[in-house]
Amino acid sequence: MFAGRGVRVFGLAAALVMLPAAGGAARMVESAAPAVPAPQAAPAAAAAEVKIDNFSFSPATLTVAPGTTVTWTNRDDIPHTVVNTDDPRAFKSKVLDTDEKFSYTFTKAGTFAYFCSVHPKMTGTVVVTAGGK
Amino acid sequence: MSVNPFDPKTVLLAKHAQHVVLIHFPIALFIMGVMFDFFAQFTKRRGLADAAYYNLLVAAISTAPVVATGILAWQFALEGQRVKGILLQHMALAGISTVVIWAVWWIHFRGRRGELSLPAFRIPLELFGVLVIALTGHLGGFLSGVNAPG
Repeated sequence: MFAGRGVRVFGLAAALVMLPAAGGAARMVESAAPAVPAPQAAPAAAAAEVKIDNFSFSPATLTVAPGTTVTWTNRDDIPHTVVNTDDPRAFKSKVLDTDEKFSYTFTKAGTFAYFCSVHPKMTGTVVVTAGGK
Repeated sequence: MSVNPFDPKTVLLAKHAQHVVLIHFPIALFIMGVMFDFFAQFTKRRGLADAAYYNLLVAAISTAPVVATGILAWQFALEGQRVKGILLQHMALAGISTVVIWAVWWIHFRGRRGELSLPAFRIPLELFGVLVIALTGHLGGFLSGVNAPG
């Protein structure tokens, strides 16, 4: 009887000792399980601005990375356009009234010259390079 | 961007080139007409008065293609941009200029037909016309980029 009791006491003690280990093992299983990627905010799309003022594009030359969206804003009292000089044209805005904007996303690397079709002396360039910014 | 100035397509189909070219005719003719009239007034020379009349006549006639090409320039070069700011001022002054040019010619026309003697107020009216035309051209220079800095 005492032997059986001793076995039960030992068994209980062993169980108490093993319980944390079992918990640890469980935790180890949890940590060993493939990590579920936490939801992350999508990387913000790169953007750049060109101001049209006093019959000029500012900055006249802009260097950006591929995927950057460039926005031109007409701050002049005079209507202006933004027209790519390439053939075929990569982009062409409508006539922009004061405070109107035009945006274009540059996906390919290269040098994109543009001008104002109303005032052809107004010129600018967007350089799209992998290391641009 | 390269442009061939002798390519007919470039010359004839340029969006607002015609207006920018033609506008100089009524400007120059009217100013010369006013000058001839001014000197005719003080010298009483008939030849100067005739020169004034014909300059004013052709100036008035030349406003027709200028107004037409101006409207075309507004519609094509500026894509029918909302009429406000400098564009509004240019259009309003252009309208006044046209009316004054025709009015001055009409006064001279009636004077030559003997319906009335040339009134003295025509001189300040002519000078007012020169002033309004100058302002119209000044604003037009900004619209076309001629007055752009640099």
